[in-house]
Amino acid sequence: MVKTKIWVFLILAILVIAAAASALVLTRPAAGRVARIYVDGELVREVDLDRVAAQERYTVRTDRGENVILLEPGRIRVESADCPDQICVKAGWLADSAAPIVCLPHRLVIELGGETELDAEAG
Amino acid sequence: MRRALPAVCLVLALALSSCAPQKRTASFFAMDTFMELTVYGEESVLDDTRALIERLEGELSVTDPDSEIRALNQNGTAELGEDARSLLERALEICALTGGALDITVYPVVRAWGFTVGEYRVPEPEEIAALLEKVDYTRISDLTLPEGFMVDLGAVAKGRASDEAVRIWGEAGVKSGLMSLGGSVYAMGTKPDGSRWRVGIRDPFSDGLLAAVEVEDRAVVTSGGYERYFEENGERYHHIIDPKTGYPARSGLASVTVIGGEGTLCDGLSTAFYVMGLERALELWRSARLEVEAVFVTEDGEITVTEGLEGSFEPLGDYKNAEIKVVGRG
Repeated sequence: MVKTKIWVFLILAILVIAAAASALVLTRPAAGRVARIYVDGELVREVDLDRVAAQERYTVRTDRGENVILLEPGRIRVESADCPDQICVKAGWLADSAAPIVCLPHRLVIELGGETELDAEAG
Repeated sequence: MRRALPAVCLVLALALSSCAPQKRTASFFAMDTFMELTVYGEESVLDDTRALIERLEGELSVTDPDSEIRALNQNGTAELGEDARSLLERALEICALTGGALDITVYPVVRAWGFTVGEYRVPEPEEIAALLEKVDYTRISDLTLPEGFMVDLGAVAKGRASDEAVRIWGEAGVKSGLMSLGGSVYAMGTKPDGSRWRVGIRDPFSDGLLAAVEVEDRAVVTSGGYERYFEENGERYHHIIDPKTGYPARSGLASVTVIGGEGTLCDGLSTAFYVMGLERALELWRSARLEVEAVFVTEDGEITVTEGLEGSFEPLGDYKNAEIKVVGRG
């Protein structure tokens, strides 16, 4: 009888711990918007945009060319690039969008991590 | 009680572990764009999808020296595999449906503008006039091109890739998946929780969003002149060339988004609608009873949506209070 009680107690304890753990995970404040910069699929830099305090420039240089990336509190963009089509520059700021900034000629991608309000973006 | 213990543990283990298919994602460059895939299913589905898209690219590319389309453009005729042949036939149907607003033979003109390689230039009017002689999809017969003609399936290739991807996802038992093939979106099924996918539509005038649409088993494809363009002497020239004039389309639209079950059709129609302009596009939508919905944004910032989107179209940001015109099939 005593042994059964111990088992019941153990199971209850596990359930309580599991519930507490899921509550913690589920109610944790959303992770800051993290921008990830990839070249050719390789992560070259990760920046928490909510922790950017002042304007900062970050240059990605590869054999293919150069992209100057501008970081500001809460947002990121390609400021200039020596690619022929300039699509990455024209894409403007990335702040809450589900669509990444892509520089196809330089194989550069800037993506926002974490949950966005949208599942995808057409355009 | 003791005897029931293993059973209790088993039930608990099952309840605590999730048996839902796992979320898997992949992204890669293909078809001159960046592609992102999300499926709830097996990892092998993503590998198969990527292989499928790369196969289609290899067959359909207009620049790859080994592609079937390249061979067709060089020789006027070619041994086409099933993929290239069926897409060429479907593309020609969409060209006919849109009265040539989509014309897959416009490629020589697009190339002259430099949009194929990103080395932009404004061709002389004489050059455009001469190239327009080689633009007319109705002159393709038996999948054979007249002398000097070239086809480019770029306006429908990503749409077809999404249709084929959805087909293999279905065969693999996937119930929930999403892809963005360079901004051509296909949302398969619903999200795993049963709710519809929320797909954003880009604001053609800023780097923000215009609206969100909630969809299930739908392609969402936007065409606009706002992304791929260049400026010369204060003029802006975008990449969607009107096959009738040889110049960037000026129809009064800033962007068109087409939503429907067939990615290939949505892809082709978004380009055609953009070239046609609001009035002509709506006329075609009504008269041909096209099984798509659409969102039109004019250069004046006016938004028109087709009636099937009522209830699933939600303006965002600066557009939250904008007046939205809803049009019916009338």
